[in-house]
Amino acid sequence: MGYHLAKALLKSEHEVFIIERSSLKSETIREELGSLVIVGDGCEEAVLKEAGTSRADVFIAATGADEDNLVACQIAKHRFQVPRTISIINNPNNEKLFVELGIDVCVSSTDIILSHIEEELPAHSLIHFMAIRGSNREVVGIRIPPDAAVVGRVLGDVPIPEDSLISFILKKDGTLMVPDSEAVLGSGDEVVAITTADGEEALREALTGAA
Amino acid sequence: MPVEKILVPVHDNGCDDEALRLAGEIARVNKATVHALYVIEVKRDLPLDAEIAQETSKAEKVLHHLEQLGKELKCSVEATLLQARDVGPAVVQEAVERGSELIVMQMPYKKRFGSFTLGDTIPYILKNAPCQVILCRDAMTPDIKNGSTHA
Amino acid sequence: MGCGRVGSTIATALWKEGHQVVVLDANPESLRRLPTELQKEAIVGDGTLEEHLRNGGIENTDAFVAVSTGDTANILAGQMAKHVFQVPKVVCRIDDTARYEIYTELGLTAVSSTQMVSDLISQAVYS
Repeated sequence: MGYHLAKALLKSEHEVFIIERSSLKSETIREELGSLVIVGDGCEEAVLKEAGTSRADVFIAATGADEDNLVACQIAKHRFQVPRTISIINNPNNEKLFVELGIDVCVSSTDIILSHIEEELPAHSLIHFMAIRGSNREVVGIRIPPDAAVVGRVLGDVPIPEDSLISFILKKDGTLMVPDSEAVLGSGDEVVAITTADGEEALREALTGAA
Repeated sequence: MPVEKILVPVHDNGCDDEALRLAGEIARVNKATVHALYVIEVKRDLPLDAEIAQETSKAEKVLHHLEQLGKELKCSVEATLLQARDVGPAVVQEAVERGSELIVMQMPYKKRFGSFTLGDTIPYILKNAPCQVILCRDAMTPDIKNGSTHA
Repeated sequence: MGCGRVGSTIATALWKEGHQVVVLDANPESLRRLPTELQKEAIVGDGTLEEHLRNGGIENTDAFVAVSTGDTANILAGQMAKHVFQVPKVVCRIDDTARYEIYTELGLTAVSSTQMVSDLISQAVYS
């Protein structure tokens, strides 16, 4: 996961550095991405120092072990004053503790996998993108099916539940649209909205219910 | 194969003069030019373009000395100073960019953990340089010849 | 949590003093180090999981000791015991000396066996 993340971040022209425990894997990374990897345990202060953690704006712990992700982030934060620490969470139960211990952003691997699976399933019209920390709200995407009642109608006519807010609409042709009451909805458009766990079903029904 | 551009990575390890003399000999025969390259390795806790005054002045001194030596040897020496995270890739990249046909390196007889070592940079260059590479290892110092493991 | 040589020794000592002790270790073989009476109370489980700590009765315990050989697991479990379960006394074994210092500063009660053993050996060498 860390490797693919680094690749994506490099594409967006960030300075990226990787700490990898396995020398075999780090050799692969070095061959493909250049000398931006060291072999070592990211839970050790000395290794983090050598990696230049004190200069980092963001520290991301993306191992498969929550205890290692926690310790690496805590050391980055308290020893190297990294302003933003992000941890992958493999066990969803740990999220609350990690937030309480000062990890700035927790990304649950279960949620990621779930949203990928949801994306792959055409029948599943609602995708969970992320939970908003410190609230019970979440960001979801809803794809409008061809047989939905809202197809061809303007957003102002759609009964959006009170606890939901439409953020933007990604049209089927890839253009982005700011949602106002005059926006016309079409089949295959993706509506990205902020809603609550209780409200998501009503929102889904409002946007995807058959005519 | 005719050689027009020779790259000499230098590193203030006591071998620079020898490397330049060797490169100078080859350059004279081939009427080639010599590029002396000093790479300052920048640790990760500094930005790549950080100004490291001490290292820079040391490197400039080394390069200046080599330019003078070039004059004595009657060959033209162009000096370049670079900053990089790792020396090996920086040397290889420089050779590619300049289209060097030959890299000449000289190394001391070094030991690590009690046995002979090439270090990390030289094997990298030998493995990855697109052009010919000449590596000259220094003679053993007397204490190494006498079998000391602490050399 | 952790029933290696250190964990089993501490558990046995506390038990002999009359305390009620529950030992948690992921490896059932490790629990064989315990006296038979303590084996009955021992639990096979992962101390970094809330659920397994709960099974061990962490909600009503007076003290939690994390002494597995994994520093990071001890640190996660210790902080969980302290912040999630509000255990009054939490002690963690953190062998890496740099980490030991960091977490001591962060308010975790920790013991570094590396530091202690090195100190003792240095003392013995100089005496």
